[in-house]
Amino acid sequence: MQVYDPTAPGPATLPDLLRTVGDLRGKVVGFIDNSKPNFNLLVDDLAVLLTERYGVKSVIKQGKRSVATPAPAQVLDELAAQCDLVVTGSGD
Amino acid sequence: MSVPLTRAALVEAPDDLDELIEFFHVRRWSDGLPIVPPTRERVERMLSGTTRKPADVIASLAPGFGSATVERIAINAVMAGCRVDYLPLLIAATQAMSEPVFNLQGIQATTNPVAVWLLVNGPIARQLDVNSGMNCLGQGTVANATLGRALRLIMQNIGGALPGDMDRATHGQPGKFSFCCAENEAQSPWDALHVERGYRREQSTVTVIAAAGTHNLNTHADNADELIGVIADTMAFPASNDYWIGGEPWLVLGPQHAAILSAGGLSKSEVKRRLWEASKMRAGRLCARELQRTQSARGQTLGTITAETLLTVSQKPEDIGIVVAGGPGTHTVYVASFGDARAVTREVNL
Repeated sequence: MQVYDPTAPGPATLPDLLRTVGDLRGKVVGFIDNSKPNFNLLVDDLAVLLTERYGVKSVIKQGKRSVATPAPAQVLDELAAQCDLVVTGSGD
Repeated sequence: MSVPLTRAALVEAPDDLDELIEFFHVRRWSDGLPIVPPTRERVERMLSGTTRKPADVIASLAPGFGSATVERIAINAVMAGCRVDYLPLLIAATQAMSEPVFNLQGIQATTNPVAVWLLVNGPIARQLDVNSGMNCLGQGTVANATLGRALRLIMQNIGGALPGDMDRATHGQPGKFSFCCAENEAQSPWDALHVERGYRREQSTVTVIAAAGTHNLNTHADNADELIGVIADTMAFPASNDYWIGGEPWLVLGPQHAAILSAGGLSKSEVKRRLWEASKMRAGRLCARELQRTQSARGQTLGTITAETLLTVSQKPEDIGIVVAGGPGTHTVYVASFGDARAVTREVNL
């Protein structure tokens, strides 16, 4: 017999996820701290590493209320305007 | 032949029922229970339950962001065993789940056992025979069993959250098979949930709620003060998302308990305020890491949180949800919430 496939394909087009930033020197790097314990400590260490070893111009750290809550639109807009790349992360 | 993304594909499947059911299990298109085959005829019949067009896109569902068309909702409704007139309610519930405040991405992908509870209000509850009385959260009613099951299949098949893959639940819960009831409006001393939320009594609505689980409160308290105290004490437990996030917990008051509170002169909003006050919990009951998470989640409104800080179960008293449902008996059900989600109510339209 013929039956319907109950699933749905994902979006037909995906945003360009593979845009590269090349050399990190002089770039602004953003982090979204998901608020899990210790991620802030990890970001602090990464910020030092990125600036001292890779010549990153600055690191911007933003947080969100809790791990399962999306970052507020305003935070995303600010990071998009200020940063060359943004890392979202999970420390625990 | 390619099929537009908004139309579902017909596939060849075995004629033998046992083999057909296995065909669905192998593809992970079911919830582990046998399904009703979604044939062209059955899906067409289901679609006659709405005036919407099959290709209408109701929502895009996280985390896979598949398009929840009317047709795909109907297919999953058929599989779950729904009757034709259930379809508009499922369409409204699917749309409600996709509202950003409901945080479907978090609900679908979390390790938390959170299930989506469908709560039905207004005349449609009687029209569809959605149980609001004895055993309303249990087995035995077609509408309660199949509406909740259909919504889960929609979340899994259209939203793409397969258990163990995108659905990362540590244990899950039985409510992830089905979790649906109506409010017992006839036995409630107060306005029904949909009226509280701005709808008229004669409108029909469905509310989606992020329910972490059900906990029964069997208490023979016979006056409002005692009952408030017992319920509030039970709400306060440290491993609760509601306390560290400031959530949205729910109570399904049995009609007897609702009558006791009302006889004590309490309105629904007064019950919420009393429970909110009485369920405050010392932050020191949380483990150290939970305290850290609480500081991050609630520090902006509560300031520095110490062991002596009294945490409320929700940010505001009105964030405690209260409905009346169930049959006779000294029971009320506490529904702790996912915390990071807010219930959404939508009118059910044909």
